[in-house]
Amino acid sequence: MRDVIVIGAGGGGPVVAKELAAKGLDVLLLEAGPRHAKPREEWSTFEEDANNPLSGYFRLGPTDRSKPAWYREWPQNSFVWQLSGVGGTTQHFYGNYPRAYPGVFQGYDGADRNEYDVKHRFPFTYSELVPYFEWVEATMPVMTAAMGTKEQVFFKGAETLGLPVQTTKTTLRPSYRPQENAILQPGGTAGKTSDKNLLNYPQATGCTFCGYCFQGCMRPNGAPRNQFAKRSTDNSYVPMAITANVWARGGKPAELIADAYVTKVHSEKRNGELTATGVTWRDNVSGDEHREDARVVVMAGGCTENPRLWFNSGLPNQNGWVGRGYTDHFFDWMIGSFDDYTGNPKGVGSSARLDYPGYGGLENVGLPPALNAFSGTLSDSGIRGQYKNGRGATGPWDGPAGRVMGPELKELMAGGIDRLLTVLVITDDDVEAQNRVTLSALPADENGPIPKVTFKQRKRTRRTVRNREFMARKAAELLRGAGAKKVYRVDWAPLILHVQSSMRMGESAQNSVLEGSGEARAVKRLFVADNSALANGLGGPNPTLTSQAVATRTAEKIFQTYFDGDPWVRSEAPVVSTDPRVSVRMGQLGL
Amino acid sequence: MPAAAPLSRRAFLARIGVLGAALGGGGLLARGLLAPADAATGNPLLPPVVDLIRPVLAELARDTLNGLTVFAMPGPDPYSRTQGTPSSTPGALESGATDFMIEALDNFVPFPDAIAQPISAALVTGLADSGIALPGLELLPPELRQLDRALAAYLQSDEAIPLSFPIAGLLNLMATQVNPLAVSGVHLSPFARLTYAEKAAAFALIEKTDSDLVALLDVHFPEPLKESVSGLLKFVGGALIEFATFGAYSEYGVLDKTTKTLRRRPVAWSLSGYQPNGPVEGWDDFIGYYQGRKEVHD
Repeated sequence: MRDVIVIGAGGGGPVVAKELAAKGLDVLLLEAGPRHAKPREEWSTFEEDANNPLSGYFRLGPTDRSKPAWYREWPQNSFVWQLSGVGGTTQHFYGNYPRAYPGVFQGYDGADRNEYDVKHRFPFTYSELVPYFEWVEATMPVMTAAMGTKEQVFFKGAETLGLPVQTTKTTLRPSYRPQENAILQPGGTAGKTSDKNLLNYPQATGCTFCGYCFQGCMRPNGAPRNQFAKRSTDNSYVPMAITANVWARGGKPAELIADAYVTKVHSEKRNGELTATGVTWRDNVSGDEHREDARVVVMAGGCTENPRLWFNSGLPNQNGWVGRGYTDHFFDWMIGSFDDYTGNPKGVGSSARLDYPGYGGLENVGLPPALNAFSGTLSDSGIRGQYKNGRGATGPWDGPAGRVMGPELKELMAGGIDRLLTVLVITDDDVEAQNRVTLSALPADENGPIPKVTFKQRKRTRRTVRNREFMARKAAELLRGAGAKKVYRVDWAPLILHVQSSMRMGESAQNSVLEGSGEARAVKRLFVADNSALANGLGGPNPTLTSQAVATRTAEKIFQTYFDGDPWVRSEAPVVSTDPRVSVRMGQLGL
Repeated sequence: MPAAAPLSRRAFLARIGVLGAALGGGGLLARGLLAPADAATGNPLLPPVVDLIRPVLAELARDTLNGLTVFAMPGPDPYSRTQGTPSSTPGALESGATDFMIEALDNFVPFPDAIAQPISAALVTGLADSGIALPGLELLPPELRQLDRALAAYLQSDEAIPLSFPIAGLLNLMATQVNPLAVSGVHLSPFARLTYAEKAAAFALIEKTDSDLVALLDVHFPEPLKESVSGLLKFVGGALIEFATFGAYSEYGVLDKTTKTLRRRPVAWSLSGYQPNGPVEGWDDFIGYYQGRKEVHD
């Protein structure tokens, strides 16, 4: 009998595992995908090797890459970028750690209080969450981003929009700023040379500006795992969880098992209440099934896999909201081409942003060639100059929105990938019940019926559509202000990243799955602690920080409610994840 | 299913490209090979012809996907010339994008056989009566019956159907809808014979999910799979474009997966000036902090 079983070692699960392991609980952390314990041997810097969605080392599938990826049903023109493996989608993220806007929380009383998704607020206040934001920010650690050329170009454009610079953690008004990101700042020779002989740890520390964020961070060369620049959870929370005995008084190391696919959450009636009792998982390699009991079960498999597991476990879905309200920030993609060097493929993928509470935000995104090309061809508006698919909006960009492809894309790329600046449009989108996960009628796989992810791309709310159009126009203005000679709008089909709230917590039992504590309304001792637990799309800010802050709060609730313990966030000081005790222990473990 | 009239079967096999690829001008299958097998054995399963038709379908798929990848990234090749967008610099064929697509479709897309098989069968057996006049049809040879039976035998066998074949069939079917003349000409595949604008028009049909096509496909599936099949087509339409583009601009053709090194400089890297000296450990692009600010507080 374990104290706690955490399902999924992505962005959220390791937070709960680390916090509760530090309190001495017996924690089992199960991950369906691979564990990349030796990135220098397992990874490269090539897009085909890393990001091929079918066979890359960052895909949704088992460790053995000769085996097919896990099939999921997407019944529309869309792409759901799921990743299995320790670290989950944080393995390829850019480390952006903005806080959610205060306007999406209960009790917000600003002048713009009606500008948000008022039907789906968080069931607690912003100030309630601030200590947890601070705890995670100190743990990662979150820092103000260093600036490269592409950020300088972005800021040049932002300066033309008449907005102030944000110099606080909390976003209070439309403004722009360097990202607050979970990337260690460049130290020593990092960022100052491209001579690889001068970029070994400890001569170089933190971010070396290699530009490979999307292919996984293993730099500086020779650094201990917990001191790699990018603070994905495989570099931060997971090392802390499995070394909790060396840095936390009374801590007990969590046990991590990878390639372990959880197929069922067990439950039984206790004192008249349905209660989680443990899980069954399947070893991807041997096919063997294992069953283990626990006092508390935490689901953290992500927005698509949590509903699947819930349904396949036969758990009740009384109000129909399990899997519903799946938000994705209704992204769009703008490409600016420049006469001058922009530094597009260098440095952290995205280190500058612009926030527009009530509408959404913008951030620069640098990509290598294949992902750049992929991003230019994922559209709901057909092919520019050929067909519009009933859309093809015009505006302050050049020509109609749509795929930039074929001869046009080739000409654009031939102008130099380092003469592009691309901007991600992030929409403050409403939670919509129609965007959801169900079980697919396509054949099951060895782990049971598979999930189906449905997005009604053209039926979003009027406010969501208004916000996306507003931010797309701001992006075009920013790119022009920065000096772009041509601006393209792609009108992305759903590229489902920043996924949130498919197992949402909420104020009302009518449209939420979780209590504010993160515990399932329908099943005692069952918690959800990842992006899927979020109440809404946060107003647009990237979700990782908020997910981890909420997961930290959920860990406290678990400890208080079921282990008779005291909360710690307001009374203790966090240990930073780069702590040398973690490095030494990881070295002893050969990790 | 009622037996389709021979003429419409012939039209259909021509539309998905099989008839022309096997027997048309420059076709891959000697016409004499079909008749003796049929005459000699009278075996409806025609095993020797099944063996012959397998490589024909593979070549048809490759030819069709050549037409797709140059649509994503044209180059100096004959397919790009046919498309009307030749380019002097290397393109998708030089970058190996067609192999990328075939490998992905046939080996890695974990598409369940339970879906692939009926879709393939539907494409090959169910969509005969299109009602579209095909002007080139009289130019194609008449050995239809044997070819049709060989194909049917192949699809009904226990072999997993390589996904590249039904995908090619879909593209070719749409191609002949956009331009019926594409049923014959240079290349093996009707899709590869289209101009750039016609290929775009074929994708426009897939994206709006041509209702006749879906209706015909859907008769093979019970509820609730019908909606899944039409949704799947919308997804496939987008994915074919995006994956072909990803493959054309990736290092696929020159990456040695064992040593994790490049055999040559990738086409896209040369084109875009990416990483002029190959992979790096870092760049000297750190230029400080915006307004000198290294931290912020509430």
